[in-house]
Amino acid sequence: MLTPSLPAPTATKPRQPPAPRTLTAGERWRLRAPLLPALVFAIALTQVPFLLTLYYSVQSQNLLRPGSKEFVGLANYGKVFTDELFRNAVFNTVTLTASTVILSMLLGIGLAVLLDKKFLGRSVVRTLLITPFLVMPAAAALLWKTSMFNPVFGLVNWMLSPFGVDNVDWASRYPMPAIVGVLVWQWTPFMMLIVLAGLQSQSPEVLEAAKVDGANAWQTFRRVTLPHLRQFIELAILLGSIFIVQTFDAIFMITQGGPGQATTNLPYFIYQQAFRAFDVGEAAAAGVIVVVATITIAMVALRVISNLFTEESA
Amino acid sequence: MATVTFDQASRFYPGSDVPAVDRLDLDIGDGEFLVLVGPSGCGKSTTLRMLAGLEDVDEGAIHIGDRDVTNLPPRERDIAMVFQSYALYPHMTVAQNMGFALEMAKVPKEERSARVLEAARILDLEPYLDRRPKALSGGQRQRVAMGRAIVRQPKVFLMDEPLSNLDAKLRVSTRSQIAALQKRLGVTTVYVTHDQVEAMTMGDRVAVLKDGVLQQCDTPLALYKKPANNFVAGFIGSPSMNIREFKVANGHARIGELDVPLSRDELGVLAREGSDSVLLGFRPESVDLVGAGEGFPVVVRLVEELGADAYLYGSIVGTEDAEAADIVTRVDPARTPRIGETVYLRVRPGQEHAFSPQTGERLG
Ligand SMILES: Nc1ncnc2c1ncn2[C@@H]1O[C@H](COP(=O)(O)OP(=O)(O)O)[C@@H](O)[C@H]1O
Ligand SMILES: [Mg+2]
Repeated sequence: MLTPSLPAPTATKPRQPPAPRTLTAGERWRLRAPLLPALVFAIALTQVPFLLTLYYSVQSQNLLRPGSKEFVGLANYGKVFTDELFRNAVFNTVTLTASTVILSMLLGIGLAVLLDKKFLGRSVVRTLLITPFLVMPAAAALLWKTSMFNPVFGLVNWMLSPFGVDNVDWASRYPMPAIVGVLVWQWTPFMMLIVLAGLQSQSPEVLEAAKVDGANAWQTFRRVTLPHLRQFIELAILLGSIFIVQTFDAIFMITQGGPGQATTNLPYFIYQQAFRAFDVGEAAAAGVIVVVATITIAMVALRVISNLFTEESA
Repeated sequence: MATVTFDQASRFYPGSDVPAVDRLDLDIGDGEFLVLVGPSGCGKSTTLRMLAGLEDVDEGAIHIGDRDVTNLPPRERDIAMVFQSYALYPHMTVAQNMGFALEMAKVPKEERSARVLEAARILDLEPYLDRRPKALSGGQRQRVAMGRAIVRQPKVFLMDEPLSNLDAKLRVSTRSQIAALQKRLGVTTVYVTHDQVEAMTMGDRVAVLKDGVLQQCDTPLALYKKPANNFVAGFIGSPSMNIREFKVANGHARIGELDVPLSRDELGVLAREGSDSVLLGFRPESVDLVGAGEGFPVVVRLVEELGADAYLYGSIVGTEDAEAADIVTRVDPARTPRIGETVYLRVRPGQEHAFSPQTGERLG
């Protein structure tokens, strides 16, 4: 781009910035040099582990049998795809992610609509509603396991006791709903914030126009606000999904993936393969598969974000 | 079609004890085009929004026809509003934008599209019916906003500075189109603007507001010829009227070296107030150049030539207060005086306006 090989200015572009001065190779390197440490650091931290994972995923290696290492090509990937437990983990991940995203989005929309109104103490309420998102996931999971779900002292049972519920062990009787509950608690603020940003970017005059045009509150929300929010909601769902697919802390802390394999999702499955079964090869292959799947989702998400910006600026 | 009545209507915004609109009394006739005009922040939009139901009426009442609408929500008032920003629904097509109100009113689909098509034809919007607002020019968006109002066939049109986002040339042509359309449809219209030229050219009657208080409501010509106070006098007309305070002696106001007679009524009011001076106003176009000794002398500081007109900026000789001495007058562009020259001016008899220096109210 530094060489003046740009096409001649077209008629539709009235003004071109002055062409940058051509730099010599030495000058270019001098300008870039200060960026190098950051670049090297970023590559070392992200790409080296990924390349190592790729390398392990084509090796058969079990830590219980030292010296067993050998190149096996794509055999690990084949093993992963035929592994009953892997398919179970995929199914659990999808269930967990979908229900968490949908529930937290519905709750987030509701709370955002309420927070969009003016009332006394709004900023305090908003801060309180955001806090679950700021608590460290492991700490939150521990809190839920001990003080919320405990069959004897847990707050959930205490709250439900007037309705005839007693001493239910939520984490083992209803493992998946329990995990989903914790994650919804953590992710609702995220959804709420994005939707709230969408609500506050809406022109108040458009809402007034709908009022004058005879729409009631529900019709205004359904026909005017929701279409405006659509891209914000898509964005929140995609970003949320990327993060929630990677959930580990809550499962590790509360259910250990159980009972049985009832709450084993992909990250926990990989962890089990590597550190319980010590099958490094298969764990690495599963890891690569998850990364590829997540990158695919991320690319869709990025496209949505860029759409959002072009729509808003048009 | 309906009349509109403001009956001592006031609006206090929360946290403010000064009313944004102060005991407004206004009677708008059936089919009338009433323009609300005034400087920015005088309460024009608030007045309109009170009529629309978008703003509470804290005191007094508002009637549309013989129905008291003071506490009704907007959708029960049968009004249509054109917003300054147009406020089009961004994700709906032009046709959907115009048909939305009819859809909310459960008008059957065939009638709905017939009425949208009719409005689009009137406003030259037929080629754009399937476009989103984003893909329209400013003028086209403005017409869609108009179309959204006229398909409804409401009792009253409310328009809040609908032309302020257009360029100067388009504003002039759209101005006359809106006025013609309103005459054709015969729907009572309340139109808000800060531009006195718009007000004078469009309105059947013009209501002038200042600080939330109605100053005068009359036909454009009456506002020009007989402004009720010095604010209206200065606001209506361009360039604005020269209004200066002059000493009164022996029944005459003294402009520089010239005595201008005041009427018995005017002198009576001044005497009752105990004023020894008067606020005298004369429009730039009410002044003639005369020979030496026949008028008051003015030193020419600047001459602005506009082709058809020329304006002279000068200072009255023999006035102590330099600021009170500056005046603007219209002169014949064929014979403009030179800068620095002293000319003699006279206000055409009967075209001066006398106001009380204490209240600003018109005398006599
Ligand atoms: N939502 C509001 N809250 C408080 N004060 C307001 C609000 N809207 C307008 N005002 C005040 O009321 C006065 C009249 O405003 P407005 O009717 O918008 O004036 P205009 O349309 O004539 O420019 C102004 O002083 C303005 O500051
Ligand atoms: Mg306004």
